[in-house]
Amino acid sequence: MNARAVTTNVLLGLAPIALLILLWQAMVSFGYAPVTLLPPPGQVFGRMVQQFLNATYRQDIEATLLRLFAGFAIAVILGVAIGLAAAASPAINAAVRPIVRVLAPLPKVALYPALLLLLGFGHESKITLVAADALFPILLSTYYGASTVEQKLIWSAMAAGTSHREILFKVVLPAAAPSILTGCRIGLVISCIVVFLAEMITSTDGLGHVLVTAARTFQAVDMFVPLITISLLGLILNGALEGLRSYLLRGFPEV
Amino acid sequence: MIPGRALLVRLAPLLACLGLLTVWQAASLALNNDSFPTALGAIQAIPSILGDKDALINILASLRRMVIGFSIAVIVSIPLGLMMGRSRAVASFFNPLLMVIYPVPKAALMPIIMLWLGVGDLSKTLVIFLGVSLPVIYHSFEGAKAVEEKMLWSGAAMGLSAAERLVRIVLPAALPEILTGCRTGLVLALITMITSEMIARQSGAGNILFNALDMGEYDIVYAMIIIVGAMGIGLDALFERLRARLVRWSEPQFDIPLSFS
Repeated sequence: MNARAVTTNVLLGLAPIALLILLWQAMVSFGYAPVTLLPPPGQVFGRMVQQFLNATYRQDIEATLLRLFAGFAIAVILGVAIGLAAAASPAINAAVRPIVRVLAPLPKVALYPALLLLLGFGHESKITLVAADALFPILLSTYYGASTVEQKLIWSAMAAGTSHREILFKVVLPAAAPSILTGCRIGLVISCIVVFLAEMITSTDGLGHVLVTAARTFQAVDMFVPLITISLLGLILNGALEGLRSYLLRGFPEV
Repeated sequence: MIPGRALLVRLAPLLACLGLLTVWQAASLALNNDSFPTALGAIQAIPSILGDKDALINILASLRRMVIGFSIAVIVSIPLGLMMGRSRAVASFFNPLLMVIYPVPKAALMPIIMLWLGVGDLSKTLVIFLGVSLPVIYHSFEGAKAVEEKMLWSGAAMGLSAAERLVRIVLPAALPEILTGCRTGLVLALITMITSEMIARQSGAGNILFNALDMGEYDIVYAMIIIVGAMGIGLDALFERLRARLVRWSEPQFDIPLSFS
């Protein structure tokens, strides 16, 4: 695609977002929505800048990010390890498969009360919930990536005298990387969503808590700010992962 | 396959359930903690919830909202996704907007929507609708993008209009992928339903769960978790049956849904 087509596409893509903000402004300006229920976009973005300069709000963002990264990291480590093990060994596969079948469609957020009772109201219960929710997409895509590695690659490595363990780390893992990274991307979005929800349900800090506090005091402006923040965080993290992906997968044929 | 082995494969999820419950039972006996009842205790509390008329009505009302939200989302999202898959202009129009919406937790919109529409069925159904739409749009988009061009050319050569091609060629060809999206959406509908009720705390299954937590009725908490979990697994299995029937001709890609909130 040439540069001009890209520019057209970007402009076309920005159009609905601009339209949405325009519609939002129009609804306020023409009095269809009272300012207390729907504050004008200018006020919301102004408030957002103000909040970013505010130390308490930055601490809330930090708390959210800490839980997000911790949960996501646990999910990546466990998901890749279990996924690879299940793809490599039929015995582990037979044990893991039915358990995953039962646990994957289970709404993990329903476990949150149990986690609260067991782990308390601090970081641990939220991190565990994030990890539990992000785990399955990563586990499944690792498993599918690793079990569809071309057999010839493995045979060549075996013929060259590579040990079983080395094949797993030097052949299967790199070959499954595109699939694993796709799973990580889904897992990351889930982590953003889950950490926010967990903080909304019970918390004393974090972005979700900011939203709930604002809702209790009917501060509509402050309700929009954390939502836009989490959307921005999601976009930034997604972009970072995309960068990591194109770095890790350099030399891979079109992915 | 040998019948005994086939039976084992079919029973494997059931065995896994039993295994997990056994682990739970053992863990709670070992910890001997008031707030962590045994699996048996939780199962014994299930009849008391399902026997309670108010609780049952609440759970059924939750399910009704979920079904309505899910159905509307599917009806709106599939055509949109298919059009995005077939037209580059439509795709680049909607894609950035969807990317911005994606990391926003839909259930977190609950407080704002409640301000506008009240705490009734409407706002809860709307939130479920929002939660289900994205994966269905995404999967329909991917499915429609992968449709073989030659089939469309043949259709055009035989005089099908663009709309007819969309319904008669693209829709069936993308159906396996669309149904994968619907399956994810179904689990998501359940998750969004529970979460929105946990946040709005007015009625429904999520509310029962957290009320019991506040009152310290721990066996009710765990019994509700089992009920919600069983609903998730049951709905998923039901949908899988339907899917297998509709797209018998295609190979299943993922036999486990990628569920998330």
